[in-house]
Formats: sequence, structure tokens, C-alpha cells
Amino acid sequence: MRKFSIVLKYELKEYFSNKAFMALTIVLALLGAALLFLPRFVDMSGFTGVKVVGGEDETEQVSQEHKDDFGYVDLAGVVREDVLQQVFPDGVWHRLESAEDLESAVQGGYKAGFLVTGATQYEYYVFNKAMTDNNMARFNQAMQLFYRMDYCAEKGLDLGELAAAYEVPINVTEQILNKDSSSNYWYCYVLVIIVFMLIVYYGQMIAVSVTNEKSNRAIEVLVTSTTSNSLLFGKVIAGAIGGLFQMGVTLGAILLAYQVNRGQWGGMLDMFLHIPAQVLLAFMFFGIGGYLFYAFLYGAMGALVSKTEDISKSVSGLMVIIMVVYFFSLLQLTNIDGTVIKVLSFLPFSSYSTMFARIAMGTVAPWEIIVSFLILVLSILGTGCLGAKIYRMGTLRYGNPIKLGTALKDLKKSR
Amino acid sequence: MKLEVKDLRKSFGEKEVLHGISFAVEAGSALGLLGRNGAGKTTTIRILMDVFHSDSGEISLDGRKFVPSKHKIGYLPEERGLYPKRTVIDQMVYLASLRGMSAREAKESAGKWLKRLEVEEYGNRKLETLSKGNQQKVQLAASLVNNPEIVILDEPFSGLDPVNSQILKDVVSELITEGRLVIFSSHQMSYVEEFCDNIAVINQGQVVLEGKLKNIKKDYGKNRLMLASENYSLDELAGRLEKEWTELVSVSGRKKEFLILELKAGVDKQAMVERLAKSDIVIEKYGNYEPSLNDIFVAKVGEEE
Repeated sequence: MRKFSIVLKYELKEYFSNKAFMALTIVLALLGAALLFLPRFVDMSGFTGVKVVGGEDETEQVSQEHKDDFGYVDLAGVVREDVLQQVFPDGVWHRLESAEDLESAVQGGYKAGFLVTGATQYEYYVFNKAMTDNNMARFNQAMQLFYRMDYCAEKGLDLGELAAAYEVPINVTEQILNKDSSSNYWYCYVLVIIVFMLIVYYGQMIAVSVTNEKSNRAIEVLVTSTTSNSLLFGKVIAGAIGGLFQMGVTLGAILLAYQVNRGQWGGMLDMFLHIPAQVLLAFMFFGIGGYLFYAFLYGAMGALVSKTEDISKSVSGLMVIIMVVYFFSLLQLTNIDGTVIKVLSFLPFSSYSTMFARIAMGTVAPWEIIVSFLILVLSILGTGCLGAKIYRMGTLRYGNPIKLGTALKDLKKSR
Repeated sequence: MKLEVKDLRKSFGEKEVLHGISFAVEAGSALGLLGRNGAGKTTTIRILMDVFHSDSGEISLDGRKFVPSKHKIGYLPEERGLYPKRTVIDQMVYLASLRGMSAREAKESAGKWLKRLEVEEYGNRKLETLSKGNQQKVQLAASLVNNPEIVILDEPFSGLDPVNSQILKDVVSELITEGRLVIFSSHQMSYVEEFCDNIAVINQGQVVLEGKLKNIKKDYGKNRLMLASENYSLDELAGRLEKEWTELVSVSGRKKEFLILELKAGVDKQAMVERLAKSDIVIEKYGNYEPSLNDIFVAKVGEEE
């Protein structure tokens, strides 16, 4: 234990005395916080929908200053411009005479154009159709309204009365007895991405640090000075602490800055950043656990090669597992109480994201959390010991990368 | 304290590289492991240090199984390497702490050894900024930083200039005088000759010669004489001896200044003196021939080849 703490201290010093590492931590934290302070100093009402007046918390809804030009040709004689104005409050409407005029107006800069050829049909003109284009849906709504108005006029009916009967307002009071997936979904999504980034980015750093000891030939002095367990555990846990420190400082700064500026953002980032304490706690235990689990595997993979440029080859298999787990976890967020995610939440490869997601969004019994966490902890210790054995076995094996299968066979043989 | 290595065998894959290495060394003396490149010296040392496991054989210290982690050992590996981007003092303190010293002791000892090896001014510099020779000295200082009772140095003189070699020679001599058990490998015979009481010559994975250097030299010099003449060149002298003195001696070698003669069986040195006295050869140099370690090594390894 003493030797482990000596290695840990030495390796931590490497991170915390590294100017680039500390500078990056500070820059990331400041940048994240600065972005969240922006609405205090810059008018972002177009984005947030909240305008800060005179630096006070007084807010008012603002309308879009910029209006888009729309054109229409009414061959059926059904279009009412006042209705269009209501359905498209951010648009200025221009009546045109022919399809050619409409086409050249759209080419000339109009947001969109509509050639109405009948009471229930029209052609839509647009220059580049955006992914979020909803003009057709809105124009459909307007066309339906024109039709209803004409119909009611023809039949002598009162459109207002009919609309009131069809669109009677329903009052609902929601009583959520367990979890609200619709509000938990996005921060779960974000937190799963964060753990994924932690694992991939800092795991790679750990692998590089292990490989460097082989490439600079320090490994022989080290393995004859202490145990490989002390060396690998010290190195990996120092890397993990370094990563958590950097990520923690950045995330902490972002969460704090958001809490301070929540009013200025109109609560619009709540779905990402207003995370309940118990979810953060589950994230901490399972996220850190999964990160350590993979960090040891990265350390072992680093020991299989003797040149840093070979690391990507060595960790490619591990990357595939991480990617599959990552995509599967994200896909399964929409089926949080399904059998697949339940099974995944007990496997150490995937529990870091799936059990955490189940805690945040689904129904999970306390025993399931405890069992899953115990499996994860035991697996971390297992991969740590296996990693240390691979590290020791990889000592002085320079040259071509050693395949994991070969390493495991050699370990078995040496027992 | 006596370290004994008995019948070490080691294979890599299908190839056996050590075929039963045995030797012994005691505290206060040094053993020189000699051999050509690839002979098996480094593998033997790595087995001693538990970097590799032997397939069979025993290593004992004072009759008990030798476990390196239970002893204070100073090890200089053949593959030199420390952390290039860390300061010299940092890594020396780190290694001393790993080998059991307290932080305070480690700092003191690191300072002491850096000073002894004349690199103390580089303590706060990153290793990569030092010259090769100074890096080598730092590496040696790092090996000795835990004040070891057993010192194992694999090719310690390689890469050192004459001045640094002298510093290292002094340090090794001090270690032996202080009663440490020293093992070092080299193929530079002059250094081995200078410190080692015992040698083990390894060739192709086996010990082909082992024992006290003094005795080995004596054995190799037995029945051998050196002779040089004032009135004959070495070629003329050799020709004459091979033609006319065949019942007494044979010419077994030649140095720059004299011939090496080997007495025939049953002929003693007195008979040779008498024959010389009666001949017209004017003696320039005559006496017992004491071979150098290099001669012994070349002779022994050559024979084995």
C-alpha cells in the first residue's frame, strides 16, 4: 500500500505540475462558465426568448425583429392574407401573379412561395429546404382554415362556435409517482456522453503513459523496484484522478454558472444542466466505476506495445466494445425498463451508463443497484490485477505489438 | 553473505539460451560476468533480478532462496532508461522511496550520490537535457540511491568516456571495500581485471570458466614462458626454436615484444634455462608468462567456438 501511494503521488505530480494540463483545465472551466454568463452581457433574447433590461431581472417577451418575405399565387381564389398573417406572424406576405413570378421571387430571396391551385391543393416553392422547415405544415393549417371558413359561410354555420366545440380546452394536473423520463432524458443523454468522453480521452492518456515507460526503458528499473500491481494501480488511479479533476472542474464551473444565470436563460438548459443530486450521485459512483474499469484495460493495452504510435492498434478492440456499449445505451434510453437494458445494467462493460440511466429514468430496486455496483467494483479489481499481470508480462517485450490473445495465453502458461 | 547461482536454465520459445549457469560470489568481493554479445550475461542478470523467471535452477543467499524484493539491491540494467521529462532529483527520490527509504532519507541519499558521481548541479534539470555521459551517471546514481547491500551492474562502463569511467571505477572499488556484494557484466576485460576477485566466463549460455581470477591466471600461465632475444628477431627466434628446440618447447603465441613458449611434457624450466645458457641466444626478456584476462577469454571462448 505504501508503494502504491508513492507511485500515485509521483504520477499525480506529473499531471498537476504539467502546465499544459492545468492551463487546459482552467481554460475549459472559464470558457464553459463564460458561455453561461453571456446572456448577462449580450442580448441573446432571439435564442433564449428572454430579454434582460437594464441589467435587472425584469424580462419581457420579444418578437422577432427580422421578418421573412413569403409569396403566394392564388389561382383558386381561396387565400385570405389576414389568416396567413396570423399563422405566419414572423412573415411578410406578397401576392404574385404567376408561377414564374413566384419562382423568380423565391430565387431572389423570398423564404418560400405557395402556388394555390385549388381549395385543397397547392405547390410549395423553396430554394434550399432546411431540415427544420415547417412552412408546409403551417401553410396546410392555413389552407384548412380557408376551407372551413368557406364551408361555414356556404352552409351558414358559425365557425367560432364549431371551433370552440372541437377544440375544448382540457385541464390536466400531472401526478408523477416515480420518474419523469421526458425531463430526465436529456441530462442522462449528456452524462452518458460525458462518461464516454472521459473513458476514451483519459483512457488513451493512461495507455500512452504506460507505453512511454516501455519506450523510454524505465520499466526495467521500475519493475525491479516495486510490484507491478503498485505501478499499474498507481498509474491508472492517478490518471483517473487527473481526468476527473479536469472534467469535474469544468462541469462544476458550468453547473455553477448555470445556477447563477438560470433566470437569464429562462430555464431553457434545465433539461441538460438542472440535474437532481441523487442522479449526480449515481453518476458519480457508476460513472467513476466504469471509467476505472476501462482505465485499467487501457493501461493493460498500453503495456502490450512499446511505441506510442502502436497504441491505436492495441486499443482498437477495446474501442469497439466502448462504442457498441455507448450507442446501445443511448438507443435503450427510450426503453428504459426493457429486458435488454436490465441485463446490460449488470454487466461491468455497460453498467456505468445503463444502471445510471435506469436510476435516473426507470424503475430499479435498491438490491439491483447494490448488486450491479458490487459486480462493477469486483470487475475493476479483477481488470486491475489482470492489467498488472499483462503489464509485468509485457516488460522487456519490445518490437511488434503483442496481441491480447497471445498475452493471455502466455500468462496462462507462466502460471 | 554469499550468493549462489546453481544450474540456471532458460528458454525463449523453443530455444534454450541458458544451459545451466552456476557461479558464486561473496560480500566484499566482485564477480565479473564475462561473455561475448548474446552469450547470456544479461539474461542471467535479469533472472537474478526476477525480471525473468528461469525454467529451472536455484538462486540462494546464505543458503536461503534469494528473493530480490526482500533485499536492498542496486541494479543498473543493460537497457538504460528513466523518465526523460522529469527532473533528476525527482526520479531519484521516487526510486529510493520505492525501494524502502523515507522521503527525507531518499532526498539525502539522492543528493549524496549525485555529488559522488559529480552530477549534483543537474539535480533540478530534466533528464533529457543532460549529455549521454551525464545521463549514464545519473542512472548509476539512481541504481545506488538506496545504499544497496547487493550491487548488480550490467555493462556499467559502456558509453562512458575515460574520465567518467575512472569515477565509476572509484565508486565500484569503494563499494567492494565497504563490503557490498558486487556483480557486474562486461566485455571490457581491463575493468573486470581491475576489480574482480572472481570471474565467470559465459559462452553460448553456459559457464565455460569460473573461479578466482588469480588461480585462473596461474593455471593458464603454468608451463608457459616468455622469451625475447637481442640478437634474433621474433620471427627468427620462433623459426629456430620450432626447428631445433622441439624436444623442449613449442611456440604457443606471440606478443608484440616476446614469444610465448609452452614447455613440453616432462620438461622443467631449469632445463630450458640450461639450454638457453649454452645457446648463442642473447636474452632480452625471459620469465614466467602471466596471461592477461583478455588472453584467457579469447583462448577459452575461441576453444568453445
